[in-house]
Amino acid sequence: MGSSGHSGPFTGVGLGLRHPHFAAVARGNPGVPFWEIAPENVLGDGGHEHDTVCRILERDPVLTHGLGLSVGGFDPFDPEYLEQLAGFLAFTGSPWHSEHLCFSSVDGSTTHELLPMPMTRAAVRHTIRRARELQDRLPVPFLLENITYYAELGEKELAEPEFLAEILDGADVGWLLDINNIYVNAINFGFDPKDWLLRVPLDRVVQMHIAGHDRVGELVIDTHGAPVIDPVIELMRWVLPRIGRPVPVLLERDNDIPDLEELLAERAAIQEAYDDVMAVPAAQASHA
Amino acid sequence: MLEASVLALQRSLVDAALMADAGPLERDPAGFAAGRGLPPGDQAAFVRFKDRLLVYRDPVRADLAEPVETICFVSRALLEQAGLWDECLAAFLASRGVRSAFYRDLAASFLGWLATTGWGRERWPFLLQLVHFELLNVLVAHHPGGDPPAGLHPRPALGDRLVLEVPTQVVTYQYQVHLATVQAPVPAPGTTHLLAYRDGTGLPQWLELTPATASLLLRAQQTSIGQAALDLGLTDLSEAVELLAQCQAKGAILGFAGTIPR
Repeated sequence: MGSSGHSGPFTGVGLGLRHPHFAAVARGNPGVPFWEIAPENVLGDGGHEHDTVCRILERDPVLTHGLGLSVGGFDPFDPEYLEQLAGFLAFTGSPWHSEHLCFSSVDGSTTHELLPMPMTRAAVRHTIRRARELQDRLPVPFLLENITYYAELGEKELAEPEFLAEILDGADVGWLLDINNIYVNAINFGFDPKDWLLRVPLDRVVQMHIAGHDRVGELVIDTHGAPVIDPVIELMRWVLPRIGRPVPVLLERDNDIPDLEELLAERAAIQEAYDDVMAVPAAQASHA
Repeated sequence: MLEASVLALQRSLVDAALMADAGPLERDPAGFAAGRGLPPGDQAAFVRFKDRLLVYRDPVRADLAEPVETICFVSRALLEQAGLWDECLAAFLASRGVRSAFYRDLAASFLGWLATTGWGRERWPFLLQLVHFELLNVLVAHHPGGDPPAGLHPRPALGDRLVLEVPTQVVTYQYQVHLATVQAPVPAPGTTHLLAYRDGTGLPQWLELTPATASLLLRAQQTSIGQAALDLGLTDLSEAVELLAQCQAKGAILGFAGTIPR
């Protein structure tokens, strides 16, 4: 792999680059300011589709978003993988790399699922150490993303905003704010997402995610398998002025992936909302 | 070590998601937690959130099963006919056999688990080979390749040795696994030699080989084509050279290296 060296622009609304759209996107960028890709889906792969996606990553601005480091877990990070990841970050020119505030592996066995951390002081200390280690070993700034969870794992010592804030501050890493995850958690646990957002360090936000979800029985599940609903877009509009910077927002779609045209239309609608709120002076908008 | 409490909770959640029978957590969440060394406060949380903890079983299990079910669809049909596919998957998941952070390695983990445990071998002695063949197509399609050696030429001469494309595999099965289908998933017994390769469009393909051709393809990577043919007792060398040229045209052979120094 060489190096694409793209430096942006990383603002506006980007799109998760997904397998069914590789060929179409490779023919030309359809007006998306940046893409996001999971390194695990590219590293160590080969063949025709791999070549296709690499052409896109070389050509267009890209952010990287990892799935498998199990930041909150206890299994040692694989030095060989981190070396490959560093090379991939250089290849894509991604200005930062994000992962989830979760664990996915235990005792060397991986679940390939984003599992919730216990919200305890011990978990805070442990995750800070792990995030610092990753930050030390990666060539770009490291971000953590707040996840969706459906159950509290064990006896809670901290509320989620404090749990998140202590880790971000303690590890001194950036925040990938997933607005849909906050909305989903708010529904499932019965809290006000705006109150929640007033208790977290918005100055640490570097990027945002936005996605759709589905209701399954009594729970709302973060499926990334449906269009983003209006209340989530409204929450994005509410928080952006409070962040006070035009941080990039990434539209994720991982299940029931529609045609590229449909996804591009959804992206454009969210971009319109983004532009609309960014056109208003920050101080004025944050009082709305 | 307070962090040990974090690890114990993580192990408990993964147990809840991957154990074959969710009954122990459903019936007695406090006992489930206590049995894993969790203190009373955590046990109470397991009682309070029992139903929601069980929610994790579906996505975890579906995520781990999906690539196996997609890639090994003939094997799945075979075991579904016997009503044992779910049991097989549950045993695989309960083994915690997935060690790779790469999602694409999941089906290979399943193959490794079958090889290690011998699950189903007595009833279906071909099962491991069937899964191997199904996985082979994916491995060939997605092989990362490598740097090709320099100085290869496109037409074979008897003094050359052949260099396969990196994804190309010469494989031998004891069953005709390549002919098994969803409708007829039981392969007939019979030694089968296959050349699996990636064609010019990136798609995996296979060619059935005679035993002599399979041997030639393997041996002529180490010694000259002429010597390999002689060693194998092949008298019609022009036929061998023509076959190699065809394999090269299909994309299975990268090229031919010059005379091997003697």
